[in-house]
Amino acid sequence: MSRAAANSDRRQTFFSRLLEEHARVFFFSLGKLWQNPAGTLLTALVIGITLALPAGLHALINNVDKLSYSWEGAAQSSLFLKDSVSAERGKDLARELNARPGVARTTYISRDQALAEFRKLSGFGEALDILDNNPLPAVITVTPIHKQSREQINELVTDLSNLPEVDMAKLDQKWLERLYGIIDLLQRGVMVIAVLLSLAVIVTVANTIRLDIQARHEEIVVMKLIGAPNSFIRRPFLYTGLWYGFTGSVVALIFVAVGMAALTGPVQNLAGLYESNFSLSGLSFLAVLQVFAAGIVLGWLGAFLTVSRHLSKIEPH
Amino acid sequence: MTDIIQFHDVSHRYAGGHDVLSHVSFSVKQGEMVFLTGASGAGKSTILRLVALIARATRGQVHVHGQTLASVKPRHIPAYRQRLGLVFQDFNLLNDRTVFDNIALPLIIRGHSHRDVGRQVRAALDQVDLLNKEKVYPLTLSGGEQQRVGIARAVVTKPDLILADEPTGNLDPEMAHEVMRIFERFNQVGVSVLVATHAIDLIKVMPHRMIHLEHGRISMKVPLSIRHAGDTPYV
Repeated sequence: MSRAAANSDRRQTFFSRLLEEHARVFFFSLGKLWQNPAGTLLTALVIGITLALPAGLHALINNVDKLSYSWEGAAQSSLFLKDSVSAERGKDLARELNARPGVARTTYISRDQALAEFRKLSGFGEALDILDNNPLPAVITVTPIHKQSREQINELVTDLSNLPEVDMAKLDQKWLERLYGIIDLLQRGVMVIAVLLSLAVIVTVANTIRLDIQARHEEIVVMKLIGAPNSFIRRPFLYTGLWYGFTGSVVALIFVAVGMAALTGPVQNLAGLYESNFSLSGLSFLAVLQVFAAGIVLGWLGAFLTVSRHLSKIEPH
Repeated sequence: MTDIIQFHDVSHRYAGGHDVLSHVSFSVKQGEMVFLTGASGAGKSTILRLVALIARATRGQVHVHGQTLASVKPRHIPAYRQRLGLVFQDFNLLNDRTVFDNIALPLIIRGHSHRDVGRQVRAALDQVDLLNKEKVYPLTLSGGEQQRVGIARAVVTKPDLILADEPTGNLDPEMAHEVMRIFERFNQVGVSVLVATHAIDLIKVMPHRMIHLEHGRISMKVPLSIRHAGDTPYV
């Protein structure tokens, strides 16, 4: 065998041994937890509740976001035309705008129509009679296409307001902007909560592992006496932390699913009252992966921090 | 023949305490079996602890395998200990694991493959006559059997130096004799063995050198005289 081949062979056995060792500890630590189901379940429950809170809030806010997006279609823009624009030109303009990309529908309302509508709806008809001429401008209402971002719609409205025939353009969605503002705030709030609760997960795992280390003090001393390096002694504790995080994630997802299921009925009922076909959607696949990733990483991290701190203190004497 | 252990004017002092070893010099040759004797507190265990780097010499030099122990950095201690076989008075077995898993541990620490582990563990069990006990838990075994598991764990990696601290301290005379015989068997195939013990009656019939300690110093007295020094239960 050539030296290069021998080297690659040795490297391969090194990696396969490392893999074998990690697989061994992976199942060994799982077996240890299995031997103490009540304690494991309790820890998983605490981690689960801690993770379920930000995950559930995240799901709720996503639903509000979705709901507000469906309201966005109701947003209409009103283009107030200059008085110098003739009714024919106004109608033509409405047709032209209808052909623009991003526009779903346009309606031309002439000055006379506007006056009639105002007279009918406002109750100030008699006050209008005092005026010599019609003070109301002609209006083109523009309904943007539903599937556009807020930025695109804003851009469209700005473009329209720059047309020579248009005096001013108004987008009737201030309240939607405010809602978006509130959602942004809530999302930021959930992030803050998530960070704080992540710390709580780390502390929970760290404390559990610390007790575990204390309970296995003798074992660690024996391991050190027969030449186990710290990395070897640390490994099962790290995998234990990882398993705590994983089981905690499973519990968290169950909690969120149950919570969502409990809300579905009332939400559908409420949506029906508003004649909407809105329905709650659960966590996305990506969000589920994120919950697992968060649980595993935090569990591992909690174990790593506490093991690194305590292991060096345990020495045979 | 080269020395596997050398002590040069070694002293050891507990933090803020008195010297438990003072100015000790001796050596153990490769392939030699040596008994360390003396009353408890005479410094036998301290010598073994210095060799195993559980403690470090306050003064003087300890050399093992030709290496100056003062130069071994803490992070290299595990690798250093992997070259030794340690046997303890209270066995130090992991009672939540089977006999097989206990003996396999030093091999797993060294990263041996799965197949390799099985073969070597059974070879070690065979050497201590416990082949049929691999699946049982240590606490179901007698003291003598547990100590043989401890010895199997110490020798499974084929170290060239075995250190045993009062290995027969918790055993009845018959089992103690059996354990000493096992150490002799390893010595016969070239393994150096250093045993700290005060079972004088057991070892006086064995043809091996004794190093007798009194109050932290090597004493020139013949071992038999300790029988009159208030050291053995027979006085």
